[in-house]
Amino acid sequence: MTRSIRVTVQWQVGQTLGLSSHLRLDTRRTRNDAIVSVEGDVDLTTFRAVESALDAAREGATVLVLDLREVDFMDTSGLRLVISEQQRAETDGYRFVVVPGSGKVQRLFEIAGFPGGHPLFADPPMESAGG
Amino acid sequence: MGTGPDGNRFELLAAAGAVADGTLLVESTVGRLLELVVPAFADIATLDSISPDGELRRLGSRVDAPRRREELEAALLRRRPLPDAPVGLPRAIVSAESQLLRSVTDEQLRMIASSDEDFELLRSLELSSALFVPLRARGRTVGALALGVGTSGRSYDESDLRYAEILSGHLALALDNATLSQTITGLERRLEATLTNLAEAVIVREAGGEIVFANSAAARLLNLGSVSEVTTATPQQLMELYDVFDEAGRSLELADLPSSHAGRGEEPDPLLVRNVIRATGEERWLLHKATPLFDADGTLSLIVSVVEDLTEVKRAELAQRLLAEAGQELSSSLDYEQTLQRVAQLAVPGLADWCGIVMRDEGDTLRQVAMAHVDPDKRVLPREFTTGAAEAIHTGRAHMTAEVIVVPLAIAGQPPIGALSLVMAESGRTFADSDLALGAELGLRAAVAVENARLYTERSEIATTLQQSLLPPDLPEIPGYRVASLYRAAGDQNDVGGDFYDAFEVPGGWMVVVGDVAGRGAEAAALTSLSRYTFRTAGKLLGDPIAALEQLNAALRERPRLSLVSVCCVMLGAVGADATADLVLAGHPPAYHMRRGSSHPVGVFAPFLGAYERGGWQATTIRLEPGDQLVLYTDGVIDTVGQAERFGEERLAQTLRDAADAADTVRRIERALVAFAHGSQVDDTAVIAVERLPSEPSAGRGEFRGDGVRVARN
Repeated sequence: MTRSIRVTVQWQVGQTLGLSSHLRLDTRRTRNDAIVSVEGDVDLTTFRAVESALDAAREGATVLVLDLREVDFMDTSGLRLVISEQQRAETDGYRFVVVPGSGKVQRLFEIAGFPGGHPLFADPPMESAGG
Repeated sequence: MGTGPDGNRFELLAAAGAVADGTLLVESTVGRLLELVVPAFADIATLDSISPDGELRRLGSRVDAPRRREELEAALLRRRPLPDAPVGLPRAIVSAESQLLRSVTDEQLRMIASSDEDFELLRSLELSSALFVPLRARGRTVGALALGVGTSGRSYDESDLRYAEILSGHLALALDNATLSQTITGLERRLEATLTNLAEAVIVREAGGEIVFANSAAARLLNLGSVSEVTTATPQQLMELYDVFDEAGRSLELADLPSSHAGRGEEPDPLLVRNVIRATGEERWLLHKATPLFDADGTLSLIVSVVEDLTEVKRAELAQRLLAEAGQELSSSLDYEQTLQRVAQLAVPGLADWCGIVMRDEGDTLRQVAMAHVDPDKRVLPREFTTGAAEAIHTGRAHMTAEVIVVPLAIAGQPPIGALSLVMAESGRTFADSDLALGAELGLRAAVAVENARLYTERSEIATTLQQSLLPPDLPEIPGYRVASLYRAAGDQNDVGGDFYDAFEVPGGWMVVVGDVAGRGAEAAALTSLSRYTFRTAGKLLGDPIAALEQLNAALRERPRLSLVSVCCVMLGAVGADATADLVLAGHPPAYHMRRGSSHPVGVFAPFLGAYERGGWQATTIRLEPGDQLVLYTDGVIDTVGQAERFGEERLAQTLRDAADAADTVRRIERALVAFAHGSQVDDTAVIAVERLPSEPSAGRGEFRGDGVRVARN
């Protein structure tokens, strides 16, 4: 049984701008790991919220997971977050992994020079009971 | 020998006691002791010391033999007693008991001798009796005394042994005192040498105030010629050479200094003072520390003062604070005259007594815009400094005397817009060389602030100019090719940034590039501009797409924040029958190669520019037949938001199918996007189609521009 804390934030950025973008963020923490799960669209209008979630989750984590399995769409704003986090992890000495999920998101990573099997990617994290 | 004490023997003891006062060095003490013993009590004597780890060292020997004295003394001095001999010196030391050999036999000498040669030496001494006495002082054996008689016809008995034991107590004490005293003297010398070479000034005073020690650093720091000038002065005399202030600028008296507190038996905290030498006006920041030293009975005996010169540290700190505060002032306000007045106030009194700033107006007249002085009543421009300011503005050079520093206000490479003057007046201080650099830095920052303020007032104009530079250029004619382009800017007009494209000639061909900067707004706009011009310059100089990308990558990596740019670039090489293109992708979706109505994605995926030191970018070489097209685009095309989904790569490939020429390709994409798009778009869209002309180079150039050319809103 893992002790974990779960924070969920629902964003409806798109509505005010008349865009279809929507975003739901879910952060789970165990003793050493933090998992940020993203659902919806990661684009210019929503990436700042994802950035804030990563900022909060990073604190005290030895492994930080960005779970993108439920992401419908991501553009270069999302890639920018990933690359920035990857470099910070290297400097600060924690592990940062991404669960890429949908084919569209995988394609985006492929275009950015992260082919399948790249060390950045990890299998989906184990779901903890009641987590 | 005699059995009872006689006058000579008492004198000998008294004399040995006198030697024990510890004022003589070990060598002289040994000499004096042996002289006392030989010939009064022995014909032959040797003295050894024992180190705390048990090592025996022969300190001296004395022989009363008129003809062979020097020879025998030298031989005895060299002689090393056999450590495990059952009789004699080592035995006396090990047992810590004295020994009497009433009549010395050859058999005993054999036991003592370390060799045949040594035996002959001992025999030649013609000993009749011998005494071996350990020397004990302060609870340990510090040495041993060997005494012998023979040539004088005397011999030793039990009473001589007892006397020798009494004598040995005095000898031991004399020897030990001399050793101790020598050790202490050595310590003092070492201590003095250390203090003398110390960078900090050290002054030692007696309780009464008299200076008993000062090192050369003290003389330097007090601006005196020699150590003796320090030690012959009274503290009050020294104090009168300087004006001393605390950090807040309050004047300090001798009684305020830590050494005075220590003189009252207190243990004061260190005190940082600003010292101005009255004679020269030179300013120093000194950290005074003082410690009182007490005797065993608790009376104050000495005051040790240590003074550290923190002038460099303090100036650096002052400079840093001044520049930081100035930077804050300069960036917080757009009214530059008000800002400059605050800068002038920051410089006073830390850096100068007076600070004035003049600006050059239209028509080259000077106008005083800022003025600060320690005394509020004196904020009037001293006339003689106007000339200095005018000269600094005219020549663009700073100048400096002991009391005045004038620096031009100028941004590198531009004519000065004004001048900043710093003056030392009432305080009697003078400027240090480092103040000139600080003044110049302040001048530069003030100039930048003025420029910023001016720029801000012209903001709308500049914003327009900036946007113009980011708008797609008119594409040049490329011999043998036809180029068509499309550019649609998303969102608000003022919210510039995003995509760029460019086409330019390089050694050996032409380069065509499409790029995308992550983000929007002013920062993205600056990045777009930097990327476009860096790539253009590097491409023109290097003529190689990968080398040009590496240059841009390096430029992006130098920026303080992660700056990512994706690029698709094509180098069009030879024309005619062998026309080829080298295509490189960096974080960018694939380009399309179109031939006879069908399209294929081309390019090797590789990282964004600005992400890593090395990207491993690779060129794909494409042979271009007449009528072939390369279609370059930014992700705004495939990311265009529709009713239910994004435009996507597949829809783009379908759109391109059967396009007749470059102009047709661009037109089809434009129509498809307009038809597909739902709601306002968040990303810019850029497309370039490059088509190889069917025949040899002509003036043919087709360009299509959609509604978006003039920054249309979707």
